Amino acid sequence: MTAKVLSGNYAQSYAALLARAQVVSAYPITPQTSIVEKIADFVASGELHAQYVKVESEHSALQVVISAAALGARTYTATSSQGLLLMHELLHWASGMRAPIVMGVINRAVAPPWNIGADHTDTMSQRDTGWIQFYAESNQEVLDTVLQAYRLAEHPDVRLPAMVTEDAFYLSHTVEPVDVPDPAVVDRFLPPREPHAVLVPGEATRLGSFTGPEHYVDFRHQIGEAMARVPKVLETVETEFERAVGRSHGGALPTYRIDDADAVLITMGTSTTTARSVVDELRASGRRVGLAKLRLFRPFPDEELRRLARGVDRIGVVDRSYTFGPMGPAATEVSAALYTARHRPEVTSFLAGIGGRDVTPGEVRRMFETLLSGAPATVHWEDLEDEGVTRIHG
Amino acid sequence: MIEIRFHGRGGQGAVVASELLAQAAFLDGKQPQSFPFFGVERRGAPVTAYCRVDDRPVGLRTSITAPDAVVVLDPGLLATEPVADGLKPNGILLVNSPRPPQALIAPAGVRRASVDATRIALAHNLGTPMLPIVNTAVLGALARATGVVSLEGLTRAVGQFVPARPEENRLAARDGYLGVTVLPGDASAPAPPPRARPPPLVLPEGPIASVSSETLHTAAWRTFTPVIHLDRCTKCNFCWKFCPDDAIEFDAKGYPQIRLAYCKGCGICAAECPPKTIEMVAEA
Repeated sequence: MTAKVLSGNYAQSYAALLARAQVVSAYPITPQTSIVEKIADFVASGELHAQYVKVESEHSALQVVISAAALGARTYTATSSQGLLLMHELLHWASGMRAPIVMGVINRAVAPPWNIGADHTDTMSQRDTGWIQFYAESNQEVLDTVLQAYRLAEHPDVRLPAMVTEDAFYLSHTVEPVDVPDPAVVDRFLPPREPHAVLVPGEATRLGSFTGPEHYVDFRHQIGEAMARVPKVLETVETEFERAVGRSHGGALPTYRIDDADAVLITMGTSTTTARSVVDELRASGRRVGLAKLRLFRPFPDEELRRLARGVDRIGVVDRSYTFGPMGPAATEVSAALYTARHRPEVTSFLAGIGGRDVTPGEVRRMFETLLSGAPATVHWEDLEDEGVTRIHG
Repeated sequence: MIEIRFHGRGGQGAVVASELLAQAAFLDGKQPQSFPFFGVERRGAPVTAYCRVDDRPVGLRTSITAPDAVVVLDPGLLATEPVADGLKPNGILLVNSPRPPQALIAPAGVRRASVDATRIALAHNLGTPMLPIVNTAVLGALARATGVVSLEGLTRAVGQFVPARPEENRLAARDGYLGVTVLPGDASAPAPPPRARPPPLVLPEGPIASVSSETLHTAAWRTFTPVIHLDRCTKCNFCWKFCPDDAIEFDAKGYPQIRLAYCKGCGICAAECPPKTIEMVAEA
């Protein structure tokens, strides 16, 4: 194992190197990142034996890896914000073709107005495309999750594409120490892909061809079933990763100091780190608060969430994006998952860090104070000049 | 409510027939509904269209599974499609065919009817011998056989909504009306032999329709077969180049051959062949 000071972007690049990706596609212009530049260096120096395909758009970038995956290759690509939006049609193609692609996504705000700050609107807009979605908190988690994502995506019980996302600047351009595992260790954890139902040159085979109403539903249901198996498979992948590499990231919904907590805050991505420090601080002054991280957002870990909620009365959800219903998208999903729970906590939606704003310790502290005050559940827009509170019931 | 199901092939006008019936019913003061159902649109592929006619707005948005009448524009479909499925007792099976209705096999109690709509269409110069446009003649026959619309309503609908050759289409509707033969239902008729349905598609282990395209035989869509007169063939390969389904291969001497399992009879090769050596021959 070698410790390097790496950016989140380079953590993705090193993970693609360690995974021995065989085909990498890249649209090399804005909003692309240094991820694919570094991979190009690896290919040029001979460290990575991959076919590196430069394309004319993100739409084509994803098409290239879908096609390569359909031939049995292990593939990688990366994008962000508008580039991800341009991929939208092919995101559905990738999952429908059950192509186990792994893609790095830098979470950035969506234009207009132009803004390249951290914001989850880009990937939240892709919730329903059939991709597994991980939101990482640190550069170490980025690297490790990409490796785990390959195991998960290629697993016979899953066979779905996965995106590993990281907040712009807070990870993408943040350099921090990262343990880069030895290639031999990763090889043991992540052997070459075993292709399944792939195209073989010379044999007439069709993938994803026309299917009428009599069978289409079966294919959608199969995707649903595969998604439902993801949390279970992720557990075994984490166990094997820990055995091989010596680290674990806590599965789909890792928790922190939630035992006996009166209020739990649910975060995604980098706001988790700040919130964890605030939990320690509040715990030190006797406040009973805890934290849970939505590391896996698709499939949504509803069972894990219901388990967590059994002993909690008040839950706050921090969203770095907004949907045009009553709450942020993660808060909406949390509420929906808990609606059928026997013990149903109050859910408050906090919209924070949108468009690259900091989610500060002071803000997180106020969120916990709001939860602990027992005020009725509301939607709080942080960072707005006026109060920015919308009551949704009470 | 009267429910009518049309069976045809892409290009034959089944969808237009169903819509035209709806227009005619509306002119008669009824509340109609018509919609088609098809897969990837291709000339020659089986097409189904549905028409409901009621005195009140139709309160269903589903396909028709128990029709009062079934209209078959292409008798070739009788062998490949379960056209009579769900026909109500005392319902009508109307087929475009030169043969008398006695030749049709139908479930017990179903009234059988036939009309030689192809002959009527060609007599009025509607379509080509390869692709006669039979829908107005068939609708005339349907009006007579079921009374679902009046001939007057149908005639007015043809005049208002058929842009090409309205007069010829009006005459075809009249001739269909006059030329249809309907047999009374025979409750003692033997049930039709159980149809050999294609076995259900067994979805592959795992998620993907990774089935060989060699297994997708599309010959059943064909009503005309291309015949290449090799004595005049110049081996220019235009037929191979233009064939939309890669149904043309070459023999050892470089002459084109039709792979009949995949040829849909679209006729593009015949149209494109520079020395016109390909003839489209009607199948029996």
